[in-house]
Amino acid sequence: MNKHTAWQRLEQLSREQASVHLRDLLQAPNRFEQFSFRQDELLLDLSRQRLTTETLQQLLQLAEHSELEAWIAALFKGDPVNHTENRAALHTALRLPAEATLLLDGEDLVPQVQADLQRMHDLVDQLHQGQWRGFSGEAIDTLVNVGVGGSDLGPMMVCRALEGFQPAEARHITTHFISSMDGSQISGLLDQLDPARTLFVVSSKSFSTADTLANAATALDWLNRASGLPTELLTKRHFIAVTANATRAEAWGIPAVNQLHFRDWVGGRYSLWSTIGLAIAVRIGMSGFRALLAGAHAMDRHFRQAPFAANLPVLLALTEVWNINFLGIHAHAILPYDGRLAHLPAYLEQLEMESNGKSVDRQGQPIAHHTCPVLWGEIGPNAQHAFYQLLHQGSEAVMCDFIVPARRYSDQGDALQSQHRLTIANCLAQARVLALGDAAVDQSNATPWQRYQGNQPSTLILLDELTPKSLGALIALYEHKVFVQSVIWDINPFDQWGVELGKQVANSLLDAIGAPVHSGQFDAATEGILDQLHRQLNAEDDTQC
Amino acid sequence: MLIAIWGDELSAWVAAAELARSGNDILLQQPAPGESSHRAEPGLMDGLENGLQSGRIRLCTHAEALQAPWHWLASHPSDLQQAEALCQALCRQGPDELVVINQSNFGIGASDRLQARLDQNRGQTLVCLPDTLQQGQALQQFAAPETLLLGCEDDRARLRLQALLRPFSSRLQQIQWMTRREAEFSKFAISGMLALRLGYINELANLADRLGVDIEVVRQGMGSDKRIGQHYLAPGCGFGGHHFTQYIEGLADILTETRHSTLLNTVLNENERQKELPFRKLWQHYQCDLLGRRIAVWGCAFKPGVASVDNAPSLRVLRALLAQGARVQLHDPEAMQALQAELGGSADLTLHQDPYSALEQADALLLLTEWPQYSSPDYERMLHSMRNPLIIDGRNLFEPDYLRELGFTYYGVGR
Repeated sequence: MNKHTAWQRLEQLSREQASVHLRDLLQAPNRFEQFSFRQDELLLDLSRQRLTTETLQQLLQLAEHSELEAWIAALFKGDPVNHTENRAALHTALRLPAEATLLLDGEDLVPQVQADLQRMHDLVDQLHQGQWRGFSGEAIDTLVNVGVGGSDLGPMMVCRALEGFQPAEARHITTHFISSMDGSQISGLLDQLDPARTLFVVSSKSFSTADTLANAATALDWLNRASGLPTELLTKRHFIAVTANATRAEAWGIPAVNQLHFRDWVGGRYSLWSTIGLAIAVRIGMSGFRALLAGAHAMDRHFRQAPFAANLPVLLALTEVWNINFLGIHAHAILPYDGRLAHLPAYLEQLEMESNGKSVDRQGQPIAHHTCPVLWGEIGPNAQHAFYQLLHQGSEAVMCDFIVPARRYSDQGDALQSQHRLTIANCLAQARVLALGDAAVDQSNATPWQRYQGNQPSTLILLDELTPKSLGALIALYEHKVFVQSVIWDINPFDQWGVELGKQVANSLLDAIGAPVHSGQFDAATEGILDQLHRQLNAEDDTQC
Repeated sequence: MLIAIWGDELSAWVAAAELARSGNDILLQQPAPGESSHRAEPGLMDGLENGLQSGRIRLCTHAEALQAPWHWLASHPSDLQQAEALCQALCRQGPDELVVINQSNFGIGASDRLQARLDQNRGQTLVCLPDTLQQGQALQQFAAPETLLLGCEDDRARLRLQALLRPFSSRLQQIQWMTRREAEFSKFAISGMLALRLGYINELANLADRLGVDIEVVRQGMGSDKRIGQHYLAPGCGFGGHHFTQYIEGLADILTETRHSTLLNTVLNENERQKELPFRKLWQHYQCDLLGRRIAVWGCAFKPGVASVDNAPSLRVLRALLAQGARVQLHDPEAMQALQAELGGSADLTLHQDPYSALEQADALLLLTEWPQYSSPDYERMLHSMRNPLIIDGRNLFEPDYLRELGFTYYGVGR
C-alpha cells in the first residue's frame, strides 16, 4: 500500500458508509471508550465523529504512508520545513526546558531562548515592581500591545483566557490590544489613558507591518503632544519593540535596550510562546508564562513520542481529514463553552486558515482535493442564540469543536458553580442533538420544521480545568493538528504568500485615493469607485472651504 | 495599682514606663519591645530600665498576669483573635471587678466584642482608650495629655479609671466620656480628618507647581482663617508612619466595604504617589535618565525624631533611585539602620554618618525628612561638595529665593 492506495481505500470506505448515521454509531456500548483519548489534563472525545474502527485504521495507514513520522522528526529537529522561505519552524524550541539542547546550524538554540526569556523576565519584574517609569517619573500602569495577526491574536486570546491567574503584583497594570489599521481602536482608547503612565509594546516581526507602524506613529504623536518632550526621550521610556528586525526598530526610534528578540525561525501565528507573549507574561507573571510553555512542551513530547493510534494531534487531524476529504464537510465551527476562551475562535481562524489555506503542494503543483475548511466560531452559549440554527437545520454540513473545562469556580460559591453546570449541560446537549437529531428525544409528533437531521459530527475537548498549563497543551494540540494535516495534504503550513499581493496593490492604490482617475490605470470596477471617491472627497474639501 | 501589660505596640511600652513612674506595679511578660523603632522612642528604654530597677516593673508568667485587677491591652491590629482569647481567659481565671483598658486598633466594634468575652456579672469591664500617641513624643504625650477620649459604659470602672489617670492630668482640659464604639469611631474619624487635610494641601501644592504660585504663601493665608487653622497643612512628599497609616487604612476599608466610598482610598493612593514626588522632580530634571548619577539623600525616617522608616516616603524614593541605577548617598541621624533592614544591602547605597560626606560629588540632594539639624546647613560647603548644586526639598525646609541666589537649582513642593 502507498499513500495513493490508502487514499483510495478511504474513498471507498466513505462510499460504503454513506448511509451510516451517527445515531447508529452511538449505539455501540463501548463507543466512548473506543474513541476518546486522554493526555494529562486534556480529554479528546471523538466518539461523536462519523468514525468506525475500520476508518480510523485506514486513516492511520494514510498517516504512515504520508511519512508523517519523518515529517514530525524534521519539524522538531529544525529542518527547513518552511521550504518556500527556506526556514525552520521551531515554535517547539521556545517551549524546551532550560536543560535541553537543540542544535540549529551547529548552534544550540536553547541558551538563546532562555536568554530571551530572561530579558523578558527582567522587563516583567520592572513593570510589576512599578519601576518602569514614564516621562514624568510615574510608574507605568497601562500596557498597550500594538500588533496585528500573530502579534495580536495569540497574546490577546491568552491574556483573556488566563485573566484569573493574575498575580497580586500584576494587578495594577491594565493591558489593551490595538491592531486595526483604521485607527478606530487607538483613537477611542487614547482618550481614556494617561500618557505619563502608558507603555506601548510594538510587536512586528519585520517591523514594517503597515497597520502596526501606523498605530505606533499615532501613539508617539499622542505622547509628543501630551508631554512636549523630544521623540527620542519618549521612545526610550514609552516603547518596547518585539521584533526580528532590530535595525528597523532602532531606525524607528526604539533603542536596542528596549528591544526583545523575535527569532527568525518562529512564524507569526506560532509566536505567542516567544517574546511576542510579553503582554501575557505581564498579565500572568513569568511563572504563569512558564507554566503555559510547560503545558505546550508536554503536548510536544506526547506528539513526538506517542504511537499514532493514541496521539491526540494525529487523531484529531486525521478525523478532520476524513470529514473534509471524504465526507465533504468544508465548514468548521469552534465553540468554547467558557467565556474566557472568547478569543480562541479568532486565534484558530488564523492558525488554521493562514497555515493550511493553500492549494498548491510542496512541489508547486495544484492540489486536486480540499484543504483547510472555512473556520469560524463564537462562545458556544452565545452562538446558540446566533448561528446554531444553521448547524441544526441548515443545508451545510459543519463539523464542530466543543471546548469546555470540567471544573470552574471551585472557590467561588454555589451560584457561579451552578452557572457552570448549566453551561456544561448546554454543551453536551448541543453535541448530542447535532449527532442524533430527532433521535435525541421523542419527536414522533414533530412538524417538518421541528425536525432535526442530526449526523453533524463534533469533537469535544474536555479540560480538567482552564489553567496556564492546560491552555498551553490545548493550543499546542491545535498547532500540531494543523501540521499533521499539512503533511497529509502535502502543503507548506508555515508560509503565507496569499497575504502579500493585497499589500502590494494597496500601496499602488494609495496615491490614487481622492485623485482624478486616468482610464486604463486599473480595472473598470476600481476606476469606477475611485471616480466616486474623487468626487466625494473633493466635495467635502469644498464644503470645508 | 497592679497592672498587667499585654501586647507589643508602642503604647503598651509607654504605658508600662509611665504607669510605673507614677507608682503603679507593672507586670510584663517580655523585658523590652520587639520592634527596634519602639526601642528607639526617646526616653522609653530609660523609663523601662528605671522601672525594672526600682522593682515597679517586674516580669511574670502568663498565669500570674491573668490575676491582676488591671489589664492594659495594646496589641497589633492583626491580633484580635489573641485578644479575644485573652478576654476569655480573664473571664475564666481573672478576678472579679477587673478592668481591661483596650488601646489596640482592632476596628470599630471590637471593644464590644471583647467586653462580651468578659464576665460582666462579676464586674469585669472593658474600657476603650484610643491610642493617640505620636512616635517621637509618646512619653510626654502620655504623661500630660490635653484631652482624653474614653469609651466606658460602667460607672464604677469610670471612677477607678479617673483615679488611675489622675497623675497624668496636669494639662488635661477635657475628658470625653462616650461609649466604646463611639470612642473607636472618634479615633478613626480624627485620623481620617488629618489625612484629608494633608491630602488636600498636597493636591494644592502640586497644582501650585503647575501654576507658578508659592504654596507656602497660600498656606499662611488658609491657616489664618480660624475655621481652618495651621495644623496638618504642611505640604510635602507624603505622610508615613505605622500607626497613622493603620488607622486610615482601617477607616478606608470600612468606608469601601459598607458605603462603596472611595474618599479615603483616594487620599491614601494619592499619598503613595506623593511619596515619589522628589524622585519625579529629579527624573524630569535629568531627562528620564539617572543611570550612574550620585544622589545624596538627607533623611529617611518617616518624620523627624523617630528611628523608624515605617511607610516612609524614603522607601519608595530609594527603591526608585536604585531601580534606575542611581548611586544613593544617604544620611539620617537615626533611621539608617531601620532603612537598611527594610531595603537590604545594595552596592549602590552608601550610608554616611556625616551629612556633608553624603554630598560628595552628588548630582542632587533630596531632602526627605525635616530633621532640625538640616534647617541651616553650611551652604558654601554644600556648593563645594556637590557636582551639581541641585536641591529637591521634599519638606519645604529651605528658602527658595536664597538658595537660588547662592547658585543652587531648587525644587520644593508647590514652590
